[in-house]
Amino acid sequence: MSDAHAAVETAGGPPDYFAVLVESLRELLVAKGLIGADEVRAMIETLDAHGPTIGAGLVARAWIDPDFKARLLDDATAVVEQSGIDNYDDTRFIVLEQTPREHNLVVCTLCSCYPRPLLGLPPDWYKNRPYRSRAVREPRAVLAEFGTQVPDDVRIRVHDSTANMRYLVMPMRPAGTEGWPEHRLAELVTRDSMIGVSTARTP
Amino acid sequence: MSEKSELVVHRANDLGGRAPGGPLTRDEHEMTPFEKACHALLNVLDVHKLVNTEEKRRGVEDLGGQIIGSLTYYERWAVAASQVLIEKGLITTEELGETMALVRRRWTDDR
Amino acid sequence: MSARFGVGERVRIAVRDAPGHVRTPVYVRGHVGVIERVLPEFLNPEQEAYGVNSGTDVRLYRVRMPQAALWPDYGGAPDDVLELEVYEHWLEPADEDPR
Repeated sequence: MSDAHAAVETAGGPPDYFAVLVESLRELLVAKGLIGADEVRAMIETLDAHGPTIGAGLVARAWIDPDFKARLLDDATAVVEQSGIDNYDDTRFIVLEQTPREHNLVVCTLCSCYPRPLLGLPPDWYKNRPYRSRAVREPRAVLAEFGTQVPDDVRIRVHDSTANMRYLVMPMRPAGTEGWPEHRLAELVTRDSMIGVSTARTP
Repeated sequence: MSEKSELVVHRANDLGGRAPGGPLTRDEHEMTPFEKACHALLNVLDVHKLVNTEEKRRGVEDLGGQIIGSLTYYERWAVAASQVLIEKGLITTEELGETMALVRRRWTDDR
Repeated sequence: MSARFGVGERVRIAVRDAPGHVRTPVYVRGHVGVIERVLPEFLNPEQEAYGVNSGTDVRLYRVRMPQAALWPDYGGAPDDVLELEVYEHWLEPADEDPR
């Protein structure tokens, strides 16, 4: 691992201060027996294994299986764990359903809370000041900047992810997908549609 | 609220509704090896309750507005984790400094 | 511990200004909302942030409040709402209608 760092972080200059710091913390804690020698590498593999396709799979299944959808909306944490998804940090989930009357939008104004086991790591814009400061105050303007127009007779529910729950938005199933198999539907479910800043792709 | 108490109470991480919001960006980038290693390290520290997630957040907030504004996301995590580990007596500044010197020398020699 | 508040109850979010790490954003303090959902108990983050990893369980709620009450210049629709998680020790009963 240290070689990989050295190659990337130090090309053309002295080793990067923060890369040195992280590697030093790891080595020092391993030397003290506080963490295992292989734990950070194994955790990197876990992080690499999680991305939006996991959340998209849940949404697509909910679109074609009403019982599954009902259970997902009722207790998403239990469904995630029964689905064999590695809930590697014991996250508690809430799934929010987009409907013709309600549009859900998720933000974390205090840091960058995000349903990582289902979506992977959040994009930069989700963690940066403009989205975090504005999504709670002017959600319709923020959505418009993402190209999402929400009519005034649709209620916007902004969810500020301030504590222990993590939120996954279930977008509406696009028209013209009747009879599609689950794997094809899943390809329509984008990361952004599961944050609530956009809708699912249309076929 | 006075300007000084506002600095204490309205911590730099608490951004909801705060001006200036600025134009939205659509930035994203592939995680660098440093970022992945930093994220993974902090997850491992939480598993062992050496630095739990809440301590990490508090550590970042305690860096203050200037450092929060200047460092990248994972640079902030790395410094916050270091300070919390030192504060809890799990490592010392001296040990960390010596390890950093060793790592820096090794990475420089490797090139 | 049973939950102090039930779904639909009106609550006011406390106004507090002590130094330290908290998970109640400044922009909702002093505002009134209704309990949207009662959640389990979790460690109190205000102590967990300083290394207390057990014995501080506190009830968590989801609180819903009208956007128009939070932001005097809110430009969206009148029905728009903000929902967030708030720990029980930040909540007080509120008799009057949400502002």
